[in-house]
Amino acid sequence: MILGRFHEREGREVEPIIRVRDLYKIFHIGENEVYALNGLSFDVYQGEFIAIVGTSGSGKSTCLNMLAGLEKPSKGEIEIAGERIDRMNEGELVRFRRLNVGFIFQSYNLVASMNAVENVSLPLMFRGVPEEERLRESEKYLELMGIGDQRDHLPNQMSGGQQQRVGIARALVIEPKIIFADEPTGNLDSHTTEEVLALMQRIVRERNNTLIMVTHDPNIAAWSDRQLRVVDGKIVETVIQKESPIEKRIYEEKHDWPFVKTEALTSS
Amino acid sequence: MRASDLLKLAAGNLRRRRTRTVLTVLGVVIGTASIVVMVSLGLGMNRSLVKSFQDSGSLTMITITNYGDGMGSGKKSAPQLTDKTIDNFSKIPHVKGTSPSLGVYVTAKSGPYEATYNIIGVSQAYLRELKLASGSPPAPGEELSLVYGNQVLNSFHRGKNWMKSYTVDPEKETIFYSFPAPESSSASAGSGAASSPAGQSPGDSGASASSQPAPQKKFILKTAGIIEGGEDDYSQESNNCYTDIDSFKKLLKKIYKKDLVPSPARNKNGKPLRYYVYDEAYVFADHMDNVAAVQKEITDMGYSCYSNTEWLKQTQGTLRITQMVLGGIGAVSLLVAAIGIMNTMMMSIYERTKEIGVMKVLGCDMGDIRNMFLTESAMIGLLGGIAGIFLSFGISVIINFFTKKYGAEIMGFSGGGSLSLIPLWLSGFAILFATLVGMISGYIPSVRAMRLSPLAAIRNE
Repeated sequence: MILGRFHEREGREVEPIIRVRDLYKIFHIGENEVYALNGLSFDVYQGEFIAIVGTSGSGKSTCLNMLAGLEKPSKGEIEIAGERIDRMNEGELVRFRRLNVGFIFQSYNLVASMNAVENVSLPLMFRGVPEEERLRESEKYLELMGIGDQRDHLPNQMSGGQQQRVGIARALVIEPKIIFADEPTGNLDSHTTEEVLALMQRIVRERNNTLIMVTHDPNIAAWSDRQLRVVDGKIVETVIQKESPIEKRIYEEKHDWPFVKTEALTSS
Repeated sequence: MRASDLLKLAAGNLRRRRTRTVLTVLGVVIGTASIVVMVSLGLGMNRSLVKSFQDSGSLTMITITNYGDGMGSGKKSAPQLTDKTIDNFSKIPHVKGTSPSLGVYVTAKSGPYEATYNIIGVSQAYLRELKLASGSPPAPGEELSLVYGNQVLNSFHRGKNWMKSYTVDPEKETIFYSFPAPESSSASAGSGAASSPAGQSPGDSGASASSQPAPQKKFILKTAGIIEGGEDDYSQESNNCYTDIDSFKKLLKKIYKKDLVPSPARNKNGKPLRYYVYDEAYVFADHMDNVAAVQKEITDMGYSCYSNTEWLKQTQGTLRITQMVLGGIGAVSLLVAAIGIMNTMMMSIYERTKEIGVMKVLGCDMGDIRNMFLTESAMIGLLGGIAGIFLSFGISVIINFFTKKYGAEIMGFSGGGSLSLIPLWLSGFAILFATLVGMISGYIPSVRAMRLSPLAAIRNE
């Protein structure tokens, strides 16, 4: 019912799930206007793993916040799954996230007083799923993340990698259309970073999930299907991993990548 | 979000910050207990007040008086209380019964002992109101029998020795009654003795009786019962004897012939009236609450009347002010507790800014976030309310213990009554009220929590 509302549409035409057009975010600091985002336009296709790469202050986080409906754009359109989220009020945005969006945080943001399985089931609780059902469902995702044995552990009894796996399971448990990840490996050591990224890439490919990740690290961004490099609130470069199955499919069907041509295009 | 989840989350959060929760709840406990104890004192006082009024007379009875008929004085006087006018009273709504009061001051003798008191003829409605310790009220149409007030039988004494009283048992000892001498129209007009109304002073009546040529006839009257109460329990009825008015009228007719009563009311020409004129009459309302309305009707008809309820209401009015002051003192401490709850919730929200942000990012409904905090503060109120009631019962028991032990000497508080009284509704109300106070003081913090930005979740400190 609530779960599995969205199933991958194999064999069908790939189509953008996110459309961003002329996105601006202007902060007023004293007399000055600061353009955090300066006219962003891009499409994201169902099943893509996108990395938004940039240095701190480049506007990459602002961009993610806007896509997730945590911040209002000053100007421009954001359409996700056919809905204009730039026009929603806060209550509608919360509802939209509840139904469509999973979120992975840099500092995991698990509720300290809840054990792993309860943390994973939190978004289901917000949906009003009965306790038994949501715990069963959550355990499945803990198993998927390879930390089924940690189900009764509190966050402070787990390592950073384990905590982030719980965080990922929490993002996946509602079977969202889109997953946002804000520097998901920022607090992890390099070895664990590799593990977690590999896991995220695998899961996203297997399940045809759309994942949008923000990072400052080009090495981490390289795990994605497509990288959007952001400098001073503009996309200055798009890097496409041509071997990635999804990118191949998009090219086969569209014969080009919209909005990519207009920017500097390099292939890795 | 489900209500069960809300409750579980709230309980979990309270448990997480146990010390703070306990301290906040303690504030509510003290606040609730102080209100409940204060109100219970008021209720207890009110109850003992009503009880003391009930002991001294019926609370549904209205006494109508018409002494000194102002005839010839020029003033517009109240209509006379006659059988006919009294009958009119029974037509007033909420009137359950009426009774005239025909009193005769008699001298009673039993062996060497003597006493003087009123025998009052009243209707069956009145007799039914009497609470008897033994016997049953005189039935209509039967031979005249007396209901003794509880202080009548021990008012006997030997000769002029007033200090030493003696108790007569009407079942074993014979009491001889002598009625005051008739104040015949010719005698009173001639001698001018009318200035002293016969029957009001036993000395006079005795003297006039001895001057009468015919020896006084003595009567033996049957005993119907004795009014409830001990020797020291004073009430309106404790010093009188009561009997059925019709039987009494029959007896009086035998003694006083056409005058009907020892000192009959007279018309303008000084002739005794040939019908009964009463000094007092009684009206019984169907309920205490209707007494005031009935009393107003009677006053509007031109009579002066009073009732115990009237006094009771006045006293209760004064008591209510005391109660309000007491309740106000209690309310202040609950107000302090409410501020405490608000402070705790504010602190809690401040600490959990990030957690709230995460919840919003994960799609927790705004209303659910507000309800989560409202539930928490309501729980603080509820816990405080319940514990406060327990504390109140404890304090109440202690208060009652001491007032029972020492209250009689200090305050003249009649023993047996509890000063502090916590009825069930007060407990229920207090718990509900404390919960409500919790919710009200948690409202602003929870709305603030609802409005927190989800961006707080993203910030990395």
